[in-house]
Amino acid sequence: MDNNQSESILKVTDLCVQYGTFKAVKEVSFDVRKGEIFGLLGPNGAGKTSTLSAIEGLIKYQSGTVIVDGHNAKEKPLYARAAMGVQLQSTSFQSELKVSEILQLFAGIYGVKLTNEKLTAILKDISLEDAAGKRFGQLSGGQQQRVSLVISTIHNPRLVLLDEPTTGLDPQSRRQLWERIEAIRERGHAVVLTTHSMEEAESVCDRIGIIDHGKVITIDTPQALIEKHKNDPEVIAVSRKGRVTLEDVFIALTGKEVRA
Amino acid sequence: MEETIIPKTSTVLAALLRADFTTLWRNRRAVVMVFLVPIVILVSWKDLVAKMGAAFALSNSLTYGLIAIGLMGYTNSIARDRDKGIFQRLRVAPAPNWTIMMSRIFVQLSMIALVTTAIFVVGYDYDKITLTPAGYALTYLTAIVGGAVYLALGQVIVGLIKNPETVNSTSRLVYFTFVIVGMFGGMGMLGKQVEQITQWSPYGTVKTIMAAGMVPGSWTMDTTNALLVTLGYTIVFAVIGIKNFKWNTK
Ligand SMILES: Nc1ncnc2c1ncn2[C@@H]1O[C@H](COP(=O)(O)OP(=O)(O)OP(=O)(O)O)[C@@H](O)[C@H]1O
Ligand SMILES: [Mg+2]
Repeated sequence: MDNNQSESILKVTDLCVQYGTFKAVKEVSFDVRKGEIFGLLGPNGAGKTSTLSAIEGLIKYQSGTVIVDGHNAKEKPLYARAAMGVQLQSTSFQSELKVSEILQLFAGIYGVKLTNEKLTAILKDISLEDAAGKRFGQLSGGQQQRVSLVISTIHNPRLVLLDEPTTGLDPQSRRQLWERIEAIRERGHAVVLTTHSMEEAESVCDRIGIIDHGKVITIDTPQALIEKHKNDPEVIAVSRKGRVTLEDVFIALTGKEVRA
Repeated sequence: MEETIIPKTSTVLAALLRADFTTLWRNRRAVVMVFLVPIVILVSWKDLVAKMGAAFALSNSLTYGLIAIGLMGYTNSIARDRDKGIFQRLRVAPAPNWTIMMSRIFVQLSMIALVTTAIFVVGYDYDKITLTPAGYALTYLTAIVGGAVYLALGQVIVGLIKNPETVNSTSRLVYFTFVIVGMFGGMGMLGKQVEQITQWSPYGTVKTIMAAGMVPGSWTMDTTNALLVTLGYTIVFAVIGIKNFKWNTK
């Protein structure tokens, strides 16, 4: 692999995803570098999950390229998948399996040796040490989400893709998740997350990409976006209490109407 | 930069198998049906054993067990897990698609071996049926071959239908059709033509090869033809079922 690519952990170029005749993702390009948290924002149906699904290899894309840690996702799908950790927007594990068994399963699939000590440490880390023997179906929604998140990083991947990871979490878990995501960045890995919380995007993302109707509208740091648009009349029109927030910029850029 | 490690296929398969067998064990109450129907038939046909022969009784009841495994056990677990997104989560890991399916199918093949054993035990216990060692051995083989047809037919159902409730009701319907038509049609109660069709349907060919497998000396050219037809059905069903299969329900 050549050197100028080594900084980029994920490189998406001109990605197009189509369901039947409907174009859900239109020539989306962005890249995520080592030690970066990248936020993908957009209204419902904007194409965030579709973009991630294409990167993850769950759906075929019509055109464009996806390079994960130097591996072309189309040509070397197993290498690309081994290099990434994933939390899907809607996913589940066998509800009959115990939490410890699910961790064992995914450790096996990712080729990670999971000793009893390591298992205990993982469970403790997500404050579920007492739940090891519980069946997955018996956990609360937030607890299930924590299991799902810890599995996405069980093999210490270079790229972590999180689709709305904090939806449904209580404020404590949400803060803890932010810290976790930042810890991944400290390790020099890269994170892509989607969120509908502008507060979250502002406080954890180094850069954000706003996408709507399958197209990237803009990519920049949250501060730069606010700075760039704070004097736009559309932004001022939707701002409240005389202070321009990222949410105001987001609404001005993507329009006020609620999506079907 | 660090090397990306692709786990060994054997490690991946072992992890999947362990999880799938555990799930089966936790659902053991749901698989009672698979055992119950053939055993009830075997027990209630005690009188028929003398008239029609041991191989007839065993192969008939075992066929119902195989149909139940393929049409109910397999389809329902696939349809349900697909709907919950369990497959998608496995597929974003470096587990090749075929390992995910292989593990599921292996679990069902072990069920076939278990049901076969149960039928042997009950047959011996209630009806004093014994086979030669070669007969027992060959029956395990024919049961696997016969069971594969119904697994493939189950694959057609989950390939063509996405909704788990529809899969459930469809597989039940097909199951009972097989049971009814097999039972009455195979005995000639619905006329000569239906009997002929039944004989060369997946129900009849499976029953034929299993009956001959139990008494290896009775294997004829017709049995070999039945075996070939069985394999033919399996391939056709598997191709249709796999080609149309979608990993998610969206
Ligand atoms: N399997 C599918 N078949 C057909 N259309 C689909 C499919 N999946 C998604 N779509 C459509 O593609 C568009 C983008 O969907 P996607 O799930 O990527 O949106 P999203 O940005 O993740 O939205 P949300 O914030 O609601 O999760 C939507 O219009 C959706 O209806
Ligand atoms: Mg989404």
